[in-house]
Amino acid sequence: MGGLTQTTPSGTVRPTAATVGELPMLTEAQVPFLEIETLRAREFIPASKEALSSMISEQTQDKLVRPVLNWAGRNSLFPLHWGLACCAIEFAAAFGARWDAERFGVVPRSSPRQCDLLIVNGTVTWKVAHKLIALYEQIPEPKWVIAMGNCATGGGPFRTAYSVVPGVDKLVPVDVYIAGCPPRPEALLDGILRLENLIKERRT
Amino acid sequence: MDEKAATERLRSQLSTRFPAGILAVEPFPGTLGRVRFDPALALDLFRELRDVHGFTHLGMVAGIDWVQEREVVYTLWSDERRVYLFLSTLLPADRARIESATAIWPSADWHERETWELVDIQFDHHPDLRHLLLPTGYQFHPLLRSFKLHEPEDLEVKVRNV
Amino acid sequence: MSEMWINMGPQHPMTHGLWNLRVRVDGEVVLDVDPEMGYLHRGIEKISEDRHYNEVVTLMDRTCYVAGLAWEHLFITAAERALHIEPPERAVWIRMMTEEFQRIGSHIMWYAAFVQDIGLMSPFLYGMRDRDLILDLFQSYTGARLTYEYNRVGGTRNDLPSGFTDRARKVCDWLEDRFREYDTLCLASDIFHKRCDGLGRLKASDCVRLGVTGPMIRSAGLKRDLRKDRPYHAYDQVQFDVAVAEGADVTARYLVRMEEMRQSLRILRQCFDWLDRHPGPVVAENLPRWLGAPYAPVGREGYLLKRNYPKGVGFSAVEEPHGEALAYIVNEGGEHPYRVKLKSPVFTNISAARHYLVGYRVADIPPIMGSVDVCIGEVDR
Repeated sequence: MGGLTQTTPSGTVRPTAATVGELPMLTEAQVPFLEIETLRAREFIPASKEALSSMISEQTQDKLVRPVLNWAGRNSLFPLHWGLACCAIEFAAAFGARWDAERFGVVPRSSPRQCDLLIVNGTVTWKVAHKLIALYEQIPEPKWVIAMGNCATGGGPFRTAYSVVPGVDKLVPVDVYIAGCPPRPEALLDGILRLENLIKERRT
Repeated sequence: MDEKAATERLRSQLSTRFPAGILAVEPFPGTLGRVRFDPALALDLFRELRDVHGFTHLGMVAGIDWVQEREVVYTLWSDERRVYLFLSTLLPADRARIESATAIWPSADWHERETWELVDIQFDHHPDLRHLLLPTGYQFHPLLRSFKLHEPEDLEVKVRNV
Repeated sequence: MSEMWINMGPQHPMTHGLWNLRVRVDGEVVLDVDPEMGYLHRGIEKISEDRHYNEVVTLMDRTCYVAGLAWEHLFITAAERALHIEPPERAVWIRMMTEEFQRIGSHIMWYAAFVQDIGLMSPFLYGMRDRDLILDLFQSYTGARLTYEYNRVGGTRNDLPSGFTDRARKVCDWLEDRFREYDTLCLASDIFHKRCDGLGRLKASDCVRLGVTGPMIRSAGLKRDLRKDRPYHAYDQVQFDVAVAEGADVTARYLVRMEEMRQSLRILRQCFDWLDRHPGPVVAENLPRWLGAPYAPVGREGYLLKRNYPKGVGFSAVEEPHGEALAYIVNEGGEHPYRVKLKSPVFTNISAARHYLVGYRVADIPPIMGSVDVCIGEVDR
């Protein structure tokens, strides 16, 4: 439970729940909910990793199993069906017929348990911060986060506001940042493809 | 000038009905006028305007902080006369209380909740005065002039080391 | 007793925005409703107090992101009144044309999201395709698809490109056929009627009492539309009808919005004719130097300090696609507004949720809330 950061088996380094930062606007009562979810997610992972490596030799894992898993993972990214603000409209447009995102295997799912990608598309406020972290914790490993738009990257035009988190990377670890206010649907598709290239390089 | 004549007519009607409490009825271009009234007169004035003058729709309740005092601005709309009317009252900053308008216009509910949490004006006899846009338990009233925003370069989220 | 409070949101496919609808249910029947807003409260009114008037326009786009230009017009009309500046006539007609296109775009976006709540999927794809045509038109003269920043105090940023009205007329003709297709997809569908007829009733007297405006009050039979009751821009110079339906339920609101789109096409054609016949400037002359030319200089050194600039208060009321939106701007003679107060129609429409949601079942909530046309950016500001 201690320590500043933890490394998940998928290779991302993220802050532990206790170091997520001072959330100035919320009362103490909401914090324990976070800790319960964190505990559950972390206990599940070590068992499956043990099973994989004990039955198959490391060389086969590196050359055969891991590339197949990467190929499957990057061609079927399921983002969470969640829109925060203006970027959500361009997110919806990217799933229309003109910039069809489903041809990349990207299908939005309503439940975080069925997703592996969290696209943060819009301004994150302190009021929604805990809910966002809870949703992130509910997504099973391996998972990735795309910060779409200027607000998710660094607060955007609302950075100076009293109620806005200056960038979602203060709350969750981000893999791809997409700049724009809002980024065009083509930019979102470009960001998803860059994430797919990142997944191609996964070794763990 | 139909507008000015209508404002004059309203002023004389309200001054006759409420000899004390109507501080001024000024012309406001595009509307019927702006009525400055004493906060003690609130409910009676609202009832008169809704029942006799036909202002059945409350558009918005705005709070403005003029450091020494706070202003509450009501916007009313009348369907028959198709015209907006503004009401405005000044409250002292240390004792900013006024009667809630929910007894007369139920739509004032959320507007007054927002005005309280942003500009710190108490509405007496409001059914449910709690935070609407800000998180529960937020102790500040952001739209007061004394509440300053950061410069973008100063912002940094403190990371608590455990 | 199987009563409990359920959270529908902030992550829920039906919310179309970041808010939480807490419902108290007894089994499937809704007993009480408590909407929880504020998840997108970005402090726009507070930030505006630190910005130049032309810089606040960027925030107004993001206030309601599906009807951004309508909110820009709301703010800029009030700012012009507060600063005692008159825009030229061509700018006013361009604004009116833009607002009608924005109304069609917003209603198509509403339609695309609403039918997903019912269970239909094809109309979403058709709606997004047609909305993209309108966004392409916007991009040709404002430069952007969603956040335009097109209006300035004293007019608009630039004039329409040549050949614009011909392209726009072709888009209008295409859209007219598409609206017939939308009706075939929805009104002729049994699923739509089984899910929507008789739901979410809010009768006219309740609408008036609760301050509900827009298509919701027009679906209850009351003919209240700010474009006719208190004409702004140049609405008194164009012919159109106000869309009214009886029934006050979800189907009636659908019919009202469809008819509004058709009436918008009618207004647009008159706008194109006027714009073709009346070339002219789109920015007011004699703007004070601190308000800048259309391309206002970046950085503080471009602005002169105010001295003896008259104070004022500006008010504007706009029939936004969701209802009646108000702006009240206090100008104390400086470069920044002293107070910007915005009122959103969806704010009041959601506050009346208890009156049109109680008594129905949980499965009825998505169509009803979809028919209210929620856009959270303007509620939370």
